[in-house]
Amino acid sequence: MVNPWIAIGALAVVAVVIPVSMMVVSSLLRPSVPETSKRATYESGEVPTGSSRAIRFNIQYYMVALLFVVFDIETVLIFPWTVVYDDAIDKVGLFRALGPMVLFIGILVVGLAWAWRNGAVEWVRSPRADRQRTEQQT
Amino acid sequence: MALGTLPNEAAILPMAIFGITAVALFLYDTIEPDSTNSEMLAGISVLGSLSALGVTGWYLVAGTGQPETEGAIRIFDDALVVDGMSLFFTALIASVVTLVVLASYDYVKDQEKQAEYYSLLLLAATGMATMSAANSLVTGFIALELSSLPSYALVAYLKDNKGSVEAGLKYFLIGALSSAVLAYGISLVYAATGSLQFEAVAAVLADGEAIEAPGVLGLGVMMVIGGFAYKTASVPFHFWAPEAYEGAPAPIAGFLSSASKAAGFVLAFRVFTVAFGGPAGEAAILETVDWVVAFQILAVATMTVGNFAALKQEKVKRMLAYSSVGHAGYVLIALAALTEGADHQLVLGSGMAHLLVYGFMNTGAFMFIALTEHWGVGREFEDFNGLSQEAPFAAAAMSIFLFSLAGLPLGGGFFSKFYLLMASINGGVALLAVALVVNSAVSLYYYTRVVKAMWVEEPNGDLEIESYPTGLYAAIAIAAVATVLLLPGFGIVIDTAQMAAGMLV
Repeated sequence: MVNPWIAIGALAVVAVVIPVSMMVVSSLLRPSVPETSKRATYESGEVPTGSSRAIRFNIQYYMVALLFVVFDIETVLIFPWTVVYDDAIDKVGLFRALGPMVLFIGILVVGLAWAWRNGAVEWVRSPRADRQRTEQQT
Repeated sequence: MALGTLPNEAAILPMAIFGITAVALFLYDTIEPDSTNSEMLAGISVLGSLSALGVTGWYLVAGTGQPETEGAIRIFDDALVVDGMSLFFTALIASVVTLVVLASYDYVKDQEKQAEYYSLLLLAATGMATMSAANSLVTGFIALELSSLPSYALVAYLKDNKGSVEAGLKYFLIGALSSAVLAYGISLVYAATGSLQFEAVAAVLADGEAIEAPGVLGLGVMMVIGGFAYKTASVPFHFWAPEAYEGAPAPIAGFLSSASKAAGFVLAFRVFTVAFGGPAGEAAILETVDWVVAFQILAVATMTVGNFAALKQEKVKRMLAYSSVGHAGYVLIALAALTEGADHQLVLGSGMAHLLVYGFMNTGAFMFIALTEHWGVGREFEDFNGLSQEAPFAAAAMSIFLFSLAGLPLGGGFFSKFYLLMASINGGVALLAVALVVNSAVSLYYYTRVVKAMWVEEPNGDLEIESYPTGLYAAIAIAAVATVLLLPGFGIVIDTAQMAAGMLV
């Protein structure tokens, strides 16, 4: 009997060989015209300003992602629970079917309420943008 | 007994109390954000940890989950088990948390975000208490993460302090690596045995023929050992400990080096005695992977590295951090001496008893460091010169902690080390006994350096102490009294520990 894992191994080999061979063949065939502007960073036709390493992301995106995780986990766990809910009531009764989910959502609600009260959902004000706005007004 | 009327689920009450207290703190912070009402916050935390301690003590006295009633209580399809071992360690963790909260009251009084500090502390305690009851690799892993993730944030709590943030980052990076190693090890064990629940793993391993992929199993067991080595700050994953303890707020350093280490050990004890050991399974798995020898090597290496590195330190907190690595090595004897023919109950029980004694004396020592940080005394040995003239009580308590850590008969540390020595002789591993004695002798040198600085040396400069913080003093006093009382009271501790250990082996 042939080991079924051979097929997976063969797939792995093919997955590596095809892209590598494409790059090798194209490097053999293509003409080489070195030019400095080819090495420049391309930024939609604009001349790039500053270094790409000094980009600062707004911390707000991080907060949004964290709050998203709260709701995401909630969905993942509620969904299978709703599917078996009717059967579960018949089997273990209302309290044991509903209670744990109420407790779970309750804890998440406490977390969300805490984050809300502590200003996690307020949009961060940028001091520089505020300053520019006041300068324009005056 | 009236306890018989409680449902089995009530056995997780101590863990639930920690969790409820953490949520209560969050609720308080929701109603009054950025509250600096330290009395209220510390009060809620102390109330929560004392209730958890009280309930655990009541269960221990009433015999919940112990042989004299109905044996271990298993809940959630055997995913959690409440028995003597889990109650013993929950009591230890609850005591340490109480001390840490008391000490933190003065330490974080002037900080922002105090509610978060206390609730993270209690969430970590929830995870540690759950680790002591975990009876499946997956529950154990989740509980370990629940105790680790708040700890990373707590280490970096002083976020304007570069050292604290650096310590938090280092701790987090090594923690992430070790968690990955542990999770991979668990997946390999699952691949080899088809089970995650401890008794089910043991049932598969009991029959040597059933081990289909011994290589996979062996690699899995080694990686699981690596994961626990991180949590208990043992070689080869010990190097986060000095960095994290030095940068962290001192009460948190005490919390991590006592409670967190104990939680890592209780999970390791359970995994290696129930899942990878056990009366039936032992011979079969030891032919595949001899983890007892692996622990012997780790124990000797951890003791030696910890104690000899502590010799060379110039900062007291760093010295205590390395000494905590050394103590992890002593406790590893409890797993390393589980040879065939040894009295497993004695060996395991002595490790548990040492962790309990260590919980008080080590937390106490870190509380004293917290006190010196509160006063703004420097961090090096010389900065402690003449402290006994300004604060004789605290200096006396610190001397008790240090001598007890070294194993002198001033505190419970003497008997617990003596029992570990008996355990290594009982297991027939002479090397462990020699390493224990030599390392204890070495440790006496660097512990005495602190005592000498405090009592013998003249104070340099004009050291003026204005305030004597109540919370820190209370914590130090309780820890000192407990350490001294554990000398005559050690019999009760070792009996409880050995009875708890007897249920596993």
